[in-house]
Amino acid sequence: MEYTEIFNDFLSDFIDPKKRIFVGYLGLSLIIAYVWLVAVRRSALKTAHAQIFNHKVFFSKSARIDYKLFFINRAFSLLVSPLLITQIAIATFIFYELHRQNIVHSGQFSDANKTFVVALFSLSMFIADDFTKYFLHRWMHRWPVLWAFHKVHHSAETMTPITVYRVHPAEGILYGLRSAVAQGIVISTFIFAFGNIVDLYTIVGVNILVFFFHMAGSNLRHSHISIGYWKFLEHVFISPAQHQLHHSVAEEHHDKNFGAALAIWDWLFGSLHLSEAEKDITYGLGLTESGPKTIGDMYIKPFLDIYGILTLNIKKVRKLLFLSSNEKPFSNRFGPKL
Amino acid sequence: MLKNILKYSTIMGALVLPISLVHAGGHSTSYGPFPVTLQGYSGDKDNSVSYSGQVARHVLHDSLKVLAGRGDGGANSATLKAEMLSYFSGSDKNKAILAPVTKGAFVIKQGTLNEISSGKNIEGKFYNGAMMAWPGSMKGREVALHMIDRASIANKGVDAENGYNWPQLISKFTMGAMAYSQAVDNYLDEKLEANTKPNNKPYKDGKPYTGKEHVWDEGFGYFGAAAHTLSLTADQAYGIAKRKDMASADVNGDGVVDLKSEMVFGPAYYAAAFDRSGTKSTSYLQTIMQAYFDGRQLITSAKGAVLTNAQRSSLKAHASTIESKWEQVLAEAVFKYAGSAYKDINKMQEDDADVAKEYKGYVKHWGELKGFSMALQSGRNNLGETAGTMNDLILFGPVTLDNSYVTDVTSSGDFKREKRMTWNDYQLQLLKVQQLMVDKFSVASRVNDQLADLGALAEMLGDQSNAETD
Repeated sequence: MEYTEIFNDFLSDFIDPKKRIFVGYLGLSLIIAYVWLVAVRRSALKTAHAQIFNHKVFFSKSARIDYKLFFINRAFSLLVSPLLITQIAIATFIFYELHRQNIVHSGQFSDANKTFVVALFSLSMFIADDFTKYFLHRWMHRWPVLWAFHKVHHSAETMTPITVYRVHPAEGILYGLRSAVAQGIVISTFIFAFGNIVDLYTIVGVNILVFFFHMAGSNLRHSHISIGYWKFLEHVFISPAQHQLHHSVAEEHHDKNFGAALAIWDWLFGSLHLSEAEKDITYGLGLTESGPKTIGDMYIKPFLDIYGILTLNIKKVRKLLFLSSNEKPFSNRFGPKL
Repeated sequence: MLKNILKYSTIMGALVLPISLVHAGGHSTSYGPFPVTLQGYSGDKDNSVSYSGQVARHVLHDSLKVLAGRGDGGANSATLKAEMLSYFSGSDKNKAILAPVTKGAFVIKQGTLNEISSGKNIEGKFYNGAMMAWPGSMKGREVALHMIDRASIANKGVDAENGYNWPQLISKFTMGAMAYSQAVDNYLDEKLEANTKPNNKPYKDGKPYTGKEHVWDEGFGYFGAAAHTLSLTADQAYGIAKRKDMASADVNGDGVVDLKSEMVFGPAYYAAAFDRSGTKSTSYLQTIMQAYFDGRQLITSAKGAVLTNAQRSSLKAHASTIESKWEQVLAEAVFKYAGSAYKDINKMQEDDADVAKEYKGYVKHWGELKGFSMALQSGRNNLGETAGTMNDLILFGPVTLDNSYVTDVTSSGDFKREKRMTWNDYQLQLLKVQQLMVDKFSVASRVNDQLADLGALAEMLGDQSNAETD
């Protein structure tokens, strides 16, 4: 592979409209930020400019780690992604299995209105993707082993659009698998039911709904520009301010707003927190959590944390076993006196 | 003025010369004529190419297919069966060519078999190993005779009750059991050995061709390609087989299509058909034809001397290309018709379906699927487990309208349908047939790919690597 190819591969996300950091979306996010600060917050243009391009944010220690992780994680991704199960493998498996039931036959609704089917598929794909993101994200917070990995993302103390890449590769793998499962299920069920009329409404090759999500300033979620929506709208869509609140060190903000694009999942499952315009938010893990500090930490520390969690749990299990057992243990070093 | 004339004539010359060279070059890629290289030949022939016996067999096969659809449900069975057998097993009489015949402007030169070659039959060249794909544990020839017997009592070649379309079954099976089998398991196999039909002796006394020249020519004849195939596109070869493209067929411009050299028959037709459809990523016809052509040139270049081991191994490499590509063509056909049958089942289940009409199409496509799957099992290679899996998935007969399917055959040749399967289950088996063809034969044209839509949508959605997290 030529050096230029490697370089292009590393930076390809900037020119791929399927990715959040596509230059078009970044540009639009910038415009939204200016409009918000000047028209809504009534800041002077100069002040807005200084606020948006805040050197303390973009060149902070945290941000500099993000930029390095961006490149290192791309390398991991290039190595690991060919090994992961693909959405096509999952879709094929489910498509096969759907033939084992006799309630609906293959292509049963192939005479349905194409516009309706394409709209339904585009919407279902978006919802399935968003719904699975919500749950995986929730689990990343609730399960200690997964939290050990997800802490890498939450250790960011300043946020820029590149912070979306501040993740442990293990988390990247989990999100990739989630995407494969979501796509595999929706693609296979739609093709089975509707046959070859299934298609996707796209703009610049992207699901129209994903496109609008990014157009609406998805990059501002990881930024210091705190844009909140009307309360009713924050029950439907997660505003940038709501996601920033998710990154807050304040205890009352912990485990809130897991949603990616839609807020309805948080609303339904009791994790919704509306934005708070007047409150200054400090990003990061806070003093109670020990987070990774260096590049090496970002990759190694989660495993050390997991080792600690497992050791603790093994001790707990052994203790529990010895308490409930009448047999003499192999060793009673940690057990109760018999 | 003179200067201008000179200038224009130079330009014209520059234009005409390459065109004439291309024209001359076009002839050089034709499979024949090739010079007589036999040492000591004293006859008057100047062309050593001869494969008219194979052309006659293609014509016997095409004619047999026509006859297989002429049954009236039993009344004409005895005469029809005798007539079919006269094409299958041979006849002393000069039989009429029933197919291919003249169609509109596509005028065919020959009207009877003896105008091509006399005394030929299919049966003598028919694969006679075990054919486990068919009920009754029969050998290849027995299966063909069983099919002929059933076709003679069927109505227009179709046994709707058991789901058999005899013209399709007989034709597709024969394309493998005669043409493919003879080419890859006989002429391009043991007859390429040093001690068989050597190149320094005539194939038979008095013939103008050497042993190896004729062995190779006969192997080529079974492929059924026009001699000028290297100058044809897949579309043109397809048009010739469909009797639509007179201009491409009549290469010598005599106003008629000579079946002996200008026609495209079954095996070559299917190679062309897959090249021009599906993913359009294959070049079966040209690859196979080039291997035949290069092989023939190699033999010609030996100038009647015994082929060296190096020459024979080169020849075997060409033979191996031919075999593997031809096998892939048959697997592409199995893939295609498994997809057709899958789609037919969907159509039959639609609310406003004309079930009788759709079922007829389904039985026809299934006949092609089954016939080609049997053809695939008639080659040199023992497909082993792949054949067993394929036969188990396709079944002895299609799932019929009451969901039963043929499981056995009685001693009198009647079929028994003692098991049932749902349409959905059978569709799943057809999908697995397609997957098997991909896994075992790397089919690439993939016409009627029932999983293609899944792949297209997956590609549209993009890969999931580096999926964004929050």
